[in-house]
Parts: sequence; C-alpha cells; structure tokens
Amino acid sequence: MLDWLKNINKEQPEFWKNYVSKFEKKSSRFVVLSTETSGLNSDKDVILSIGSFAVIDNSIVIADSFEAVLLQYKFLHDNGLSNEFLVESKMKKLGEPDAIKACIDFIGNSTLVGHHIDFDVEIINAALERLDCGRLKNEALDIDVMHRKLNDINDKQFSLDELCTAYNIPKSDRNSAAEDAYKTALLFLKLKSRLGIK
Amino acid sequence: MNTIAENIADFLKEYPPFNHLTFVELSIIATSIRVVNLEKHKILFQINDLLHDSFYVVASGVINLSVIADAEETLLNKCVEGDIFGLRPFFAKNNYMMTAKAREESIVYAIPIATFRPFVANNSDVLNFLLESFAVNTRNPKDKENLIGKLISDNVFYSDQQSEMQYFQTLSYNTSPLKTNSSAIVQEVAQLMTEALKNNIVVCDNNIPLGIVTDADMRSKIATGRFPATAPVAKIMSSPVITVLENVSLAEAQLLMLKYNVTHLCVTQDGTDKSIVKGIISEHDLILAQANNPGVLIKEIKRCQTSKELKQIRERLTDLIQTSISKNIPLSHVFNIASEINLAIIKRSVELSILDLGSPPARFAWLSIGSQGRKEQLLLTDQDSILIFEDVSADKYREVKDYFLKLGKRTTATLEKIGYELCPNGHMGSNMLWCKSLTDWTKQYDNWMNTPGENSNDLSSIFFDYEITFGEQKIEDAIGNVVFKNAKNNTLFFDFLGNDALRKNAPLTFFKKFNVEEEGINKDKFDIKTRALMPLIDGARLFALYFDIRGINNTFQRFKQLSITDPKHAEIYLNCAEAFLTLSKFRILEGLKNDNSGQFINLEELSKIDREKLKNALAPMRELEELIKGKFQLTQFS
Repeated sequence: MLDWLKNINKEQPEFWKNYVSKFEKKSSRFVVLSTETSGLNSDKDVILSIGSFAVIDNSIVIADSFEAVLLQYKFLHDNGLSNEFLVESKMKKLGEPDAIKACIDFIGNSTLVGHHIDFDVEIINAALERLDCGRLKNEALDIDVMHRKLNDINDKQFSLDELCTAYNIPKSDRNSAAEDAYKTALLFLKLKSRLGIK
Repeated sequence: MNTIAENIADFLKEYPPFNHLTFVELSIIATSIRVVNLEKHKILFQINDLLHDSFYVVASGVINLSVIADAEETLLNKCVEGDIFGLRPFFAKNNYMMTAKAREESIVYAIPIATFRPFVANNSDVLNFLLESFAVNTRNPKDKENLIGKLISDNVFYSDQQSEMQYFQTLSYNTSPLKTNSSAIVQEVAQLMTEALKNNIVVCDNNIPLGIVTDADMRSKIATGRFPATAPVAKIMSSPVITVLENVSLAEAQLLMLKYNVTHLCVTQDGTDKSIVKGIISEHDLILAQANNPGVLIKEIKRCQTSKELKQIRERLTDLIQTSISKNIPLSHVFNIASEINLAIIKRSVELSILDLGSPPARFAWLSIGSQGRKEQLLLTDQDSILIFEDVSADKYREVKDYFLKLGKRTTATLEKIGYELCPNGHMGSNMLWCKSLTDWTKQYDNWMNTPGENSNDLSSIFFDYEITFGEQKIEDAIGNVVFKNAKNNTLFFDFLGNDALRKNAPLTFFKKFNVEEEGINKDKFDIKTRALMPLIDGARLFALYFDIRGINNTFQRFKQLSITDPKHAEIYLNCAEAFLTLSKFRILEGLKNDNSGQFINLEELSKIDREKLKNALAPMRELEELIKGKFQLTQFS
C-alpha cells in the first residue's frame, strides 16, 4: 500500500523513467506476454523465460517480438535445480536485470494481453522491485476472462490448452514461453473479433 | 530470430515456391511476417481495393477467391493450407481484380512484398512459380494432383474470353508412357498395351524415341495380314515420331496433329527426337483439356485404375453440376446425367475390387439403394448399397459369402476414398446383414412387408428404392417380383409406410414460419432434407408401390407417372413433382456453396424472394399428406 513511500527517495533507473514517460500518450499496440516461471509464488519464484509478440491492427507482427531466457543461476543453485535447459536453449540469454529492462522497453505503453495475465504482471512487478522500480502501469487483458465473458461463464477457469481446443488452434508439442505467447496471441485475435474490441 | 519465426519457416518450406529457398532465407521471410486471423466471411481484400503491401499464404482454413461479373459472384478458387494468393502487387500496379473472403475462420500469413522481392529476383525457380501462378487460371482438378501446391491465379479471364484463353493453357498429359524396344515382338507389345489400357506405345532406344505404335498400326498392318503378329515391332511402327517440348500449349498441339496428320505427339526433353522421352500427348488429352463433358467423364471412369483417379472424376462431376445449374439446365436432366456418372463410378469400383479378388464364385447383383437408387444423388452424400448373390449349395455357402463380404468391404472402401462417406446406419454391401443370398433376401423382404413393425426395427424405407449397379439383372427382377407380390392388398404394410411418411415434423409452424433447428451446430437452420424432401420421397414411394409402378425409382418421375395412373389426383402429384425439383435445387445450391450435403439451409442467406419460393414449394406437401391419410387406413401404427 505504501510502496510508493518506500521508493520515494530512491533514484529510479533511467529505463524506468523512460517507460513511465511513454504513458503520456495512448497506444493502440497490444503486447501478448507469457512467462515461464519456477513456480506460482510471485514472492519466492522467479521468471525463467519470457515470450511476447506485438499485435497491431488485428495481426501478429512476428518481427515485433521479444523473447529471452533468464539466467537464474543463483536461484537454480540455491534450490538445487538443474540448469541444463538454460545451457541448451538457443534463445537469447540475459541476466534478470537486463531481461526485465529489455522487456519493459519492449512493452512500453501497450496494453498487455495474456493467459491469467495477473500472475505474469505480479511476478514481473516482483522483479521490478528488486531493480528499485515501481509497478507496471499497463492495462491488461486476460484471454480467459474474455472467453468467459463471451460465453457468459462465471464459475470456472480455462487452461490455455482448453481454450486452444475450443478455438481450433493446433497444439504444438514444443512448450515454451514463446509458443504459449503465440497461441495466446492467436486466441486473442479470435476473441477480439468475436467481442468486437477495436 | 525467434522460436515462432522458426516454426513458420518450417511450415513454409513444405510449399512452393518456398521450397526453392534455403532455411536461412525462409527465416528472414518468416521474421517479417504478420499473422492475420480472419473470422468466417471476413473479406481480406476485394475488387478495386488498393493493393496491399504483402501477399498471403494460408496457414489454416479456407479462403475463397471470387470475381463479380454481370452482377454474379463466380468462385475462382479455394485456397487451402499452403496456397499462396494475392500476388497482384508483384506484377501490377492497378487495384485488386478479385475478392478474397474467408470461407471459414482462417489464419493467413502476410508476407511483405518488399522483403520477398529480392528472393524472387535472385531465384528463377521462385520467379517462374509466381509468374505461372499469376498467369494461369486453373480450375481443373486434374492439375491439382499434378502440382504439389495449387497454382492460384490473380488474373481473371471472364467467360467470353475463356474459349480463346484455353488455347494458351498448358496441357496435362501422360507422363509415364509405355515404352518398348525395337526388337520386341508385336504380339507381346499388343498384350502390354491391352493390359495397360493404352492405345499407344513408344519404341525407344535408351529412352530416345525411334517410333510409335498405335491401335491404328495394329489394325492396318497386323489385322490386315500384311505383317505376322510375330514380327518385330520395328516393322510396323510409325517413324519418326513428331516431338514437342514439355510446355506445349493446347493450340500448338492441335496444330501439330493436324499438320502431320497424327493422333499422338511425343514430348521429349529438348523437343527433338534425339533426346529423352518425357511423355505422350494423345488427342484424348486435347479433348479433356477443352471440356468436362459427361461422355468424356464416363469414358474416363472406365479407364480408371485407382480410387485416386476416380476421385478426380468425381470432383469434375461437381464442377459439371455447378456449371449445369448456373446455365439453367433442367434439374431433372442434371439428375439423369449425374446419376449415370455416379453409377459408372460405383460400377468401376466394383470392377476394381473384382480385379483384385479374382472372379466371383457365383452370380450376384450389387444394388444401389437410397438416393443413388432413386437417381437423385448430385452431392457427395453417403453410400447405401446391398449385395445379393445367387443361391449356392450349403457346403459352398460359407466360402461364397466370405468372398462377397470381401468384395463389399473393398468396394465400399474404394467409394469412401472417392468421397462417398460410409452409411452411418451400415446400410452397405459390406455389412453381414445386407450381403446375402437371394433366398435370404426374399425372406427378408417377406418379413419386412408381411409383419412390419415386428422384430424388424431395422426396416428402412430406403430398401425399397433400389437400382442395379453391377451384376445379374435377373436377380434384381426377382427381388422386384417379391416386393410387388407382397405389396398387393397388404394394408398392414401400407399402414406402416404411410405412418412412416407422415412421422416427419411439419416444415412450417402454425404461424407459417419455418420450423428451424432449435439446438446443435445447425441451430436456426432449416433441415430441408428431413422436413421437406423426405416426406415427398416417402410419399412418392408409397404410392408407386401401391399402384404397382415398377422400374421408375426417381421421385420426380414417380409423381409424373402417378399423375397418369391416378388421374383423379393428377394435380396434386404434378404439384409435388415441381415442388420436389424446386426443393432439390435449394438443397444443391446450399450444398455446392458449403461443400457438404446441403441438408441444412441457412435461411438468413436467402433473399426474401427465395424464402417465399421455398415456402410455396412446401405447400403441396400438405395435400399429399391428406391424400395419404385418405387412401390408407393408418390405424395400426399411429
């Protein structure tokens, strides 16, 4: 609640000021975001990889994308986990501060879209706090909520796989943050046109 | 590069022209792609729209390309997964000349022209493919098989130009001709040609063509006795052969044939008779290139060796039906033509099974039942058939039945590959129940007709519409006799059939609104098959059996005949006949539009006039219903 008081005397990093200044204008760009994390506790767990795509004018722009594997050597070591996948991955590898910085630069003032996006936002906020930054200011849309709104369902949640089945999106055997982000983006396009969101 | 771009590159490399590019090049392209989702019926671009800065590849779904000429929308092509379209910006500066519309929810990749252009300039294979795609307007299903990915044109030839244009189209021809060497014996060569059902064979020396032997040579040189059948083939071949280059046009091929007075042209690698044989163009190929006419189709069917070839022909039949209907050829005529072609396809399928299994151990008849039995099958609906074999001694029965079951299984499987779905109720010759001896079938019909409703839940009225497709006519006659003998004065049976005919729900509500489907995927659509066509079909069958009208299975003709046999109610029958045609047309148009059986009509897509027309066509049904109620005592089963 009083987070802003804690931070009020600290100098915030340059990239964060830059990020905040972008919100003077409104954006029509959407950023579909998916994170892979070590667990579901936003305080204790960390982000392992990030995949995201921009959606502009009802289409996914493949070039306008961001993906990275986060080098969480310390976290993995402390928890006795293997870091094999980090070594094997062909994706860009960044340390957490660099990755979060790049991610924030990429997101800018766009509207965030994701599957159960509140958790992604929460865990990014946790990482931002470690960098002495504020919380994300972006608006966020959850495709699960969109789906439930479209079908007037209140009493249950849908997994990404269930949504893909419902909207005929082929499932891939490879599972990564980028794959999930892409599927989420396709779902978003379909839901967006069905709900008539401009 | 990101993971998804890699996936897209993986997808693209399967399809031309992208298969000519390296993975690195594809990755660059994939990175610049935009992924677009199109909801059903969404228009991507339409005629006279400004050119987009990209062309498109279908990732999933179906995109229809169409033009509007004389206020009529004509479908040019359907693009499916992997097809490219919207190439106009590559070659022309003026606006789009066609409309691209999503037939179903689709995802397309938009590839920016600016990114792709360098690859076109540097790679002649890609350039050629794009040029061809742009220039050729192919709606010939035969081509579909030959090309890995369909060529899809952006150029439009309106129908009046088409007759000229087709002369410049490339031909499809036999690319694996029969070959022999010059020392082969004529008799063996003739055997070879007969087995392959070909009327020509190329005489080669190391694949270099020396001459050609055709049916005409056999007739004029062997059959006349000028040469013995044991002579070497070099003695009778026509030499030299007239050779052409691979991409010869229809016009050129026709000119060459006339000029040299030959019936076959030999395609070689460099167009001279000093290079390798690539194929043979026959007059037959020229005819094919010019028309999908029914005669040609039937002739083609008889030559087919595989279900794949038959499938192509069935696809061309769909084209034929579509053009016939758009040209306003009477529907009764279209029914006739289509049923003959369907008949030929089923017949050929049975023949192919026999060729595989060896000759049958007993005489038999393959009867089509249901819609094909009534000669009313225009769309690809499910297949219904029964198999009757003659009585054999008890010790052989097992073996014979086994053979025919195998025959049934093979044939229905072939038909399924062609596109006729298997009957969901299992009414097929491959089913133990519907593949039996004449005596068993006689008993079956006796049972059905004399004790309807008792232990015969499987009685379906479609068993009373049958048409022989293959085999002994006598067997069909025998069954016909049984049916009509049993029908005479059989009130119980007519009671049953009458109730069956009336059981279908009324097409209109009390307030003269259409009775539409209330739930399911076809919600709010009108089930024209069950609510409108079936009652007419059932009624026609009921009266035809009652009045002992034999040999006429077609609903339209049954009503026509009834109006003669039962002149008191002629008016009702004639109205029903007309109504049947009108309703069928609605169904067919719907079916062609959606590539399905057309059972459910989307009323919202109909114009107001069409809706009234449809409603009017439903009126005679009531009269027919009253007539049935008056004629038969419908007490037992109601």
